[in-house]
Amino acid sequence: MEGQEQLMLVMSNITKRFPGIVANDHVNFALRKGEIHTLLGENGAGKSTLMNVLDGIYYPDEGEITIEGKRVDLRSPLDSMKHGIGMIHQHFMLVDSLSVIENVILGLESQGFYIDKKSVAHQIEAIAKKYNFRVDPYAKIWQLSVGEQQRVEIIKTLFKGARILILDEPTAVLTPQESEELFGILREMKSEGKSIIFISHKLNEVMSISDRVTVLRKGQLVGTVDTVSITERELAKMMIGRDVLFRLERKDIEQGREVLKVEDAQAYNDRGIMALNKLNITVHGGEIMGVAGVAGNGQVELAECITGLRHLVSGHVTVEGIDVTNATPCTLASAGVNYIPADRLGVGLVPNLSTVDNAMLRKYKQQPMRRGTFIDYAAACTYADGLIEKFDIAVPLKNAPVKVLSGGNMQKLLLAREIEENPRLLIAEHPTRGLDVGATEFVRKILLEQRDNGVAVLLISEDLDEILMVADRVAVMYEGRIVGIVDAHHVDIAQIGLMMAGAVGAKA
Amino acid sequence: MLRFEKRDKTPIQLRVLVPICSVLLGLLMGSVVMLFAHVNPLRVYGAIVKGAFGSAYTFSETLVIAVPLILMSVGLCLVYRMKFFNIGAKGQYIIGAICGSYLALFGPATMSRPLLLTLMMVLGTLGGALWAIIPALLKVYWNVNEVIVTLLLNYIASYILWFFMYGTWGTRGFPLSKNFALNAQLPRILPPPSRLHIGLFFGLAAAVIIWIIIRKTRFGYETRVLGENERAARYAGINVFKTVIIAAVISGGLAGLAGIAHTSAVLRVLQLEINSDYGYTAIIAAWLAGLDPLVAVGISVLLAALEAGGYQIQIVMRVPFGIVGVIESSILFCLLAGEIVTHYRVILTRRLSTPPGSTPRIGKKCSVALDERARGGA
Amino acid sequence: MNPTFGSILISVLAGAVQSGTILLLPTLGEVLTERSGVLNLGLEGLMLIGAFFGFLGAMKTGNPYVGLLLGMAAAAVAATIHAFICVTLRGNQTVTGLALTIFGTGLTSFYGDNWVSQRLTTVIQPMAIPGLSRIPFVGPILFSQDLIVYAGYILVALFWFLLFKTKVGVNLRAVGENAKAADAMGVNVVGTRYFWTIVGGALAGAGGAYITCCIHPYWLNGITSGMGWIAVALVVFAMWNPFNALVGAFLFGSIEALQLQLQAAGTYINSALLSMLPYLATFVVIIVATLIVRVRHVGTPKELGIPYAREEK
Repeated sequence: MEGQEQLMLVMSNITKRFPGIVANDHVNFALRKGEIHTLLGENGAGKSTLMNVLDGIYYPDEGEITIEGKRVDLRSPLDSMKHGIGMIHQHFMLVDSLSVIENVILGLESQGFYIDKKSVAHQIEAIAKKYNFRVDPYAKIWQLSVGEQQRVEIIKTLFKGARILILDEPTAVLTPQESEELFGILREMKSEGKSIIFISHKLNEVMSISDRVTVLRKGQLVGTVDTVSITERELAKMMIGRDVLFRLERKDIEQGREVLKVEDAQAYNDRGIMALNKLNITVHGGEIMGVAGVAGNGQVELAECITGLRHLVSGHVTVEGIDVTNATPCTLASAGVNYIPADRLGVGLVPNLSTVDNAMLRKYKQQPMRRGTFIDYAAACTYADGLIEKFDIAVPLKNAPVKVLSGGNMQKLLLAREIEENPRLLIAEHPTRGLDVGATEFVRKILLEQRDNGVAVLLISEDLDEILMVADRVAVMYEGRIVGIVDAHHVDIAQIGLMMAGAVGAKA
Repeated sequence: MLRFEKRDKTPIQLRVLVPICSVLLGLLMGSVVMLFAHVNPLRVYGAIVKGAFGSAYTFSETLVIAVPLILMSVGLCLVYRMKFFNIGAKGQYIIGAICGSYLALFGPATMSRPLLLTLMMVLGTLGGALWAIIPALLKVYWNVNEVIVTLLLNYIASYILWFFMYGTWGTRGFPLSKNFALNAQLPRILPPPSRLHIGLFFGLAAAVIIWIIIRKTRFGYETRVLGENERAARYAGINVFKTVIIAAVISGGLAGLAGIAHTSAVLRVLQLEINSDYGYTAIIAAWLAGLDPLVAVGISVLLAALEAGGYQIQIVMRVPFGIVGVIESSILFCLLAGEIVTHYRVILTRRLSTPPGSTPRIGKKCSVALDERARGGA
Repeated sequence: MNPTFGSILISVLAGAVQSGTILLLPTLGEVLTERSGVLNLGLEGLMLIGAFFGFLGAMKTGNPYVGLLLGMAAAAVAATIHAFICVTLRGNQTVTGLALTIFGTGLTSFYGDNWVSQRLTTVIQPMAIPGLSRIPFVGPILFSQDLIVYAGYILVALFWFLLFKTKVGVNLRAVGENAKAADAMGVNVVGTRYFWTIVGGALAGAGGAYITCCIHPYWLNGITSGMGWIAVALVVFAMWNPFNALVGAFLFGSIEALQLQLQAAGTYINSALLSMLPYLATFVVIIVATLIVRVRHVGTPKELGIPYAREEK
């Protein structure tokens, strides 16, 4: 079928262990010249680890890597770069306060001591022109949109002469339209003979962009297939190991009365830029309102404003008719507002404190933990035990710091703590990010259960599939406003995509 | 090459072993410094031990030094848990001493001893607390770096003391106040020449109270949550301003109390040298104790022994007192360096050598085989 | 203009430039150290080490420049301890810096005990720059100084150029802003942090040695009297920019010189209050600077004080 000379890259028997898990277990992977090759797998399947091995960030415990038939030893990203490997990480490796030029030449050995900004700017513009896009070389990274930042990442790797490009879930932060543009750029590169590794877990994208697919599951290789000879469903089965449910069961229940009402909300983000622009949204009891949108359009700020973590400059927030605008977290707690933040260890939990300490975080001022100025730790223990049992959380030691728990169990603990307070309004921000299939299903089931109990759920997610799977209505956020609300049952993805890109306004 | 691997949990023995090894290594580093100055470290350490524990009197002098160290270090345990790095115990100590002494020197002479002493202690505590509120307010309102602010306040406090001593409080141009009247002297608890005073009980009580606050009360829980994760603390409804300020007031107040107690009971006079550098030693004590107030009591006694012994070797062997700072900081260095083994496994690795000319094992055949297997599985 | 007033002003300002240079060198070093993401609060200790070993070197060799180099080397070695604990072992940078100050204070007062009250016979002498020093008013203040002062000027320009115009500067800033990204781009994060921490240490040592080898050519325990801490505060004032560091350092040099002049003139203002002046001024400046930094959203390197570890999962 192919000669060895056509193989760009071969990774054989790669094994990488981390304390407690084998992230890659004797994985084999081969990349041809001029192909787009998808690495498919669920969160935690070992895709990122394998690619980090290729990028020199991790050093494998076993196995070897050859590039164009030559054995290579990749000890650092620099080594990889020298061999023509360029990785575009999911979280961009850009320095916000530096300009595009400075980011592009960062770490480059070929550049002289003095930076000739003009010449670098010319080269950047030349690369951009070749692939039909524009970028201002003198702009600082923080001034650019996420899509533009991604292009800077691409320019960076091309500037360094990359022949193998690795893109780690590049579309996670893009609108469907931006994704199409990215695919255009990728196809252009492919026709130039570059080899592209595309990491994803979105099947439709995989089918449309790639020539071959390699599937990983739980750190092991499942197989490599040609895209033309396989269906989406078969791929899904390879990825998950069983048939998947594409839509969760849901009861038809009557929508309750209005629980959350946000009117003309305005708030700054951490950089002092207006992140919410007169935003309006209403959520009823017994419904899940999904908030879709490209990251950085004010979703985080919206959640923080409702939960009392951010100050509203103007506008109103009411929960069940009570004005809770800029209320203290205590008031909000008694109003029945609960929050599952995206940043579990940054906002939700206190990593260095124990499970018991974390379980009572929102309850320590109440009975039965309250005992005058003191805390009744025996009661706190009992309370934590209750949560652990009810939600089946695997906690090896109740007094050990929660940071040692697995991601899934941390999320369960967080969820348990918030649900146990009998919320009226539950705000869930990326509640399944980074979780395995089991935990994901568990979290989604809980959200639906809450909805069925009449709770108003605001689900903020970048994963459109997730929103469509569980939400009743979808609100699309763009530049700090809700640009449209659609029924999740009869949805036009293209329409949502255009709204996410700000191309279409609200339609009644 | 050193490599670090995260630990799931810290073995108990390490928690004990690291501080002990730090002390031993710190003493070793002190020895190296002494050897360069042609001083025999064994003789010095021997003299320190003798100077600190040699007799009932010397041990009581050790405890005299331990009292302010205990008072200050237990307060620091509380604020450091909150990640509020108050290094201004020195300044708070000085201001406490000045405020309390004001009553001793200029208060109504007719006041009864218990009342006067109580007022002095209260005023000293308030003075120290006031001096700690400044950086706390600056921190919570404007996020001004508390390390720099508290440090500058230490210097400012020193010059305030200087101002008074060379000014109206001194006697005939000497930076020395008149002696405190008997009514203004905090009682000593052992027969002379021992200077050990009832401040010891203040210290022990403070340690127990702070321990209870940290471990058992809502406020203690709040400080722990706040120190570890401010955003989670805010979500939990913890009042960040209130918590930081109360904790700062407690630690500053204890330092102020240490200042006035030491001045009133031990020195019985206000002067330029009121041993305010204990404020820095207390930081080391708190850190060595792992921010546990009860452990801080023991560590304070040990560091006090080092200081007491340090005075002795300076007098008897003419070995400069600076060596005490060298030993203390070396111990702290080792402890800070050693903390990594409680969080990580440290692994010594050699660079793996790659056999040259090895050929790739995966080629055409393998790749096809994989394709076949995948299709079969689908 | 009254000629006597003019000459007094010139001598005060020339003194201000000298005192300013003591602060400038450590401040510049710390600007770069903090830009790389390492917070070194041990400047006071490092300056003392520089001051003592500078004095010792000048005493033993009779050459104050050799003394200066020895002071820098000694402080650089001490800064290496800080780098090892903070960068390699990821220790708490605040407390390590504090330990470094206690270490420097203790070490120099231990070794320095025998040298208290001895004076250097040869000190660093001024060398007027031909031409420039003849400029009226400015010449005698800025260009009739010694080599160390001139080195300060050159370092300001050099570091500014290095930071903002060269690859070295881009790598350095990237390490302090986003070490992970810098690492992914092949920048040696650990090496960069070590290098600039040690350079910062050497410059702090130079600041200290400049005191003993030139301005006050004798040894006293704690001779730096808190100037290391003022330098730490000046870094915030400078918003991590070498040119602002120059402005800040000379401003504080002026306060110092004014204070000395007033004390010498025997004014009625209490000397304790005068001595307090630089610390009070720093206290005000750190507050104002913090507020400005906050409003402008610039300055503080994002990962200042945060250790970097690559292989974590």
